[in-house]
Amino acid sequence: MAKELLEVKNISKAYTGVQALDSVSISIKRGEIHCLVGENGSGKSTLIKIIAGVVKADEGEIIINGRFYQNLHAIDSIREGIQVIYQDLSLFPNLSVAENISLNQMVERKSKLISWKDVTNTARTELKNIREKLDLGEKIEDISMASRQIVAICRALTQGAKLIIMDEPTSALTKTEIDSLFSVILDLKRKGISTLFISHKISEVLEISEKVTILRDGKKVGEYSIDELDNDKLIFLMTGKKIAYSRFKYKEKEHHEKMLLEVRGLSKRGNFENVNFKLRSGEILGIVGLLGSGRTELALSLFGLNKADSGEIYIDGKQVKINSTQDAVKLRISYLPEDRLSQGLFIEQSISNNIIITILRKILNRLRLISNIKRENSINKWSKELEIKTPSLEAAAQSLSGGNQQRVVLARWLATNPKVFILDCPTIGIDIASKSNIHSIIRDLANAGMGIILISDEIPEALQNCNRILVMSKGRIVKKINDASSITEDELFNIVGKKELNKVG
Amino acid sequence: MNKKIKRIFSHSEIYLFFIIIIFSIILTSINPSFLTLENLFDLIKSSAGMGILAVGFLIVLLSGGIDVSFTAIAIAGQYISANVLMATGVDNIYLAFLISCSVGILLGAINGLLISVFKLPTLIVTLGTLSAFHGALLAFVGTKAINTAELPDCFKVFGHNNIFVLTRADGTSYGLSVYALILLGVVIMSWLILKYTMLGRGIYAIGGNRDSAVRAGFNIVGIQFFIYCYVGFLAGIMGVMHISLLRYSNPMYIVGTELGVIAAVVLGGARITGGTGSIIGTLLGVVMISILEKNLVLMGLSSYWHQLFVGLIIIIGVSITSYQNKRRGIRSLTFR
Repeated sequence: MAKELLEVKNISKAYTGVQALDSVSISIKRGEIHCLVGENGSGKSTLIKIIAGVVKADEGEIIINGRFYQNLHAIDSIREGIQVIYQDLSLFPNLSVAENISLNQMVERKSKLISWKDVTNTARTELKNIREKLDLGEKIEDISMASRQIVAICRALTQGAKLIIMDEPTSALTKTEIDSLFSVILDLKRKGISTLFISHKISEVLEISEKVTILRDGKKVGEYSIDELDNDKLIFLMTGKKIAYSRFKYKEKEHHEKMLLEVRGLSKRGNFENVNFKLRSGEILGIVGLLGSGRTELALSLFGLNKADSGEIYIDGKQVKINSTQDAVKLRISYLPEDRLSQGLFIEQSISNNIIITILRKILNRLRLISNIKRENSINKWSKELEIKTPSLEAAAQSLSGGNQQRVVLARWLATNPKVFILDCPTIGIDIASKSNIHSIIRDLANAGMGIILISDEIPEALQNCNRILVMSKGRIVKKINDASSITEDELFNIVGKKELNKVG
Repeated sequence: MNKKIKRIFSHSEIYLFFIIIIFSIILTSINPSFLTLENLFDLIKSSAGMGILAVGFLIVLLSGGIDVSFTAIAIAGQYISANVLMATGVDNIYLAFLISCSVGILLGAINGLLISVFKLPTLIVTLGTLSAFHGALLAFVGTKAINTAELPDCFKVFGHNNIFVLTRADGTSYGLSVYALILLGVVIMSWLILKYTMLGRGIYAIGGNRDSAVRAGFNIVGIQFFIYCYVGFLAGIMGVMHISLLRYSNPMYIVGTELGVIAAVVLGGARITGGTGSIIGTLLGVVMISILEKNLVLMGLSSYWHQLFVGLIIIIGVSITSYQNKRRGIRSLTFR
């Protein structure tokens, strides 16, 4: 048997003039954990689709298990044991765990009838195989994201998976859940099953993979074994540029320490407890913590989406009640949600409509109808200010890249002229170049006197961009860091409770 | 064990079951003749047709679709079969069923074609075909009612057929109608399809997540086409049962009762957004709606109250589903 499970040689693919992949090769050995990294638009998803046989390559060859495929079809790919777990997992929320694990296999076998004994047995065997325990009768909609991931992996195994491709599997998981997912991946490796892991998060890539293939602009930058890489080198290889990081400095004197927001004893049962903090004009206050630490719940409370049970909120020294988003907007608080696709944008609407949605009241003419001139002016102003790159502002928001989409959401809220701007993971899923651009926008806003709360998943992001940091855990603020420059990355990692980064070399 | 009990109580069917029991006790205390075998037999006979339509509607709902045209299909099957029998002079109930069900499958296939192949939204398509089918029936087949004297005998005989007959003390008799058997047959057939065939699991799968069903390799077009044909077939059966029960046919009948059927299915715990629901629940829903309809007068309310209740049940049912989704959303911090 060949040592290589999958060999992809010199694959090229163009979509209507755009070269998505340009002579890319990748090879994966049996039992190898291989990471595919690259920024948005680097060709990762096209490559996966070609390996899955969903998209046909223009040029190049694919060899699986020593068999040569000129024209790989989806069915061939599945027969050769290649299973893709897409980001949405493709599960059936209304069906049981057991059925979700077994159903695809039965469809593939073209069964006409169902044997419930087989369904249960298959599910039980596969779960045992990867040493996981789940209630077989429970419906998918009632179980956690991490358990759903396990179900999706088991389902792939029922179809004789030899290579499991996971498309950003960790984006909805907490750190502990990610750890247990990684132990499953290691288990698969022991059984000789390979994993192709697609991720945005550098720390994860360094933690789990053995081999890393890096794509940039449709071209392969290189294939590296993990001990050749570290954080900075990986970023450099992905972006092709050295990104200089400077720390944000709070300019106290310019802003005369004007208190914008104060929260006293804010509590909401099951979400967060006794939260106290202050935010001054010109500050960037970081809130870090694991998923489920209460950070997003707290932010939503300040924006009127998750009413707190008790506690006081002061804006400009005056006590206020924030019971709805309307209240929050009136108090000039803005909130940029974590999930820009489902919560931030009207994805099918035009870019311009997305920008003006928050300020419709301000662009009315004397007849209380929308004034075209005012509309155009606002749209032009904000799209220029935030450098939104698009051939047309009337194109749908979904046509934009992640970074540009986030600029649209930023523009929309900046148009309301907020005093306090809460940003919930503003750079999630955004490529590194756009990321640093968004960071500099945030800093400029703070320098202009806005008070900013930056919730972040990434410790380095918080450290570079905040002057003060709150660490949340299990609904409480467990640590206040009044001078972000006084603490190192590793120290903060330890406080937040993440494992230390696997720093290599 | 504890978990098992918990799971039983997580099904809404069990609550509906208790509500029906309590409601029956109240009705019996008002009118002792409510809880008699005779009344039960009568209830089964008169609501069997509705039960069959409800099972059909449940299957559509499970697949994430909605069908409001089944009443037009039922009356078309009924009226066309009765007219053919009268015109040809053949007095055979099996032929009546054959014609009515064929008409049902044909009209269902039109729905199925529009929905599965052309991928049109189910509610709009069936709203359109509801009007189109009924309009075509009235325009091309006729508007004249068929009275009992004209009606072929086979319908009347069929409507009187009992599985067994019991005799009262005074010598008169009553029995369990053959309708019970037909309903049972439809229920068992539908249950087998849903529970033990890949086709049935495919129906659940489409209703749960259409994209996942496509990726899993289900034949979506085929499954959807089958569903609407099957609903048409069931409507055809109901059409003949209805005419035999009434011993009279008017092409204006049945159409307009869709909402009652939908209310029964929703009451039975089926989610209006698809993917979830059971046949047992649906049957309980039909029982509840039927008892309500027949006993409003007993409770001193006019029969217009029925319309009010049907509307309220649908709105409350949808609200509960939406509320459950919202709670699930809050848990995962999405606000829709």
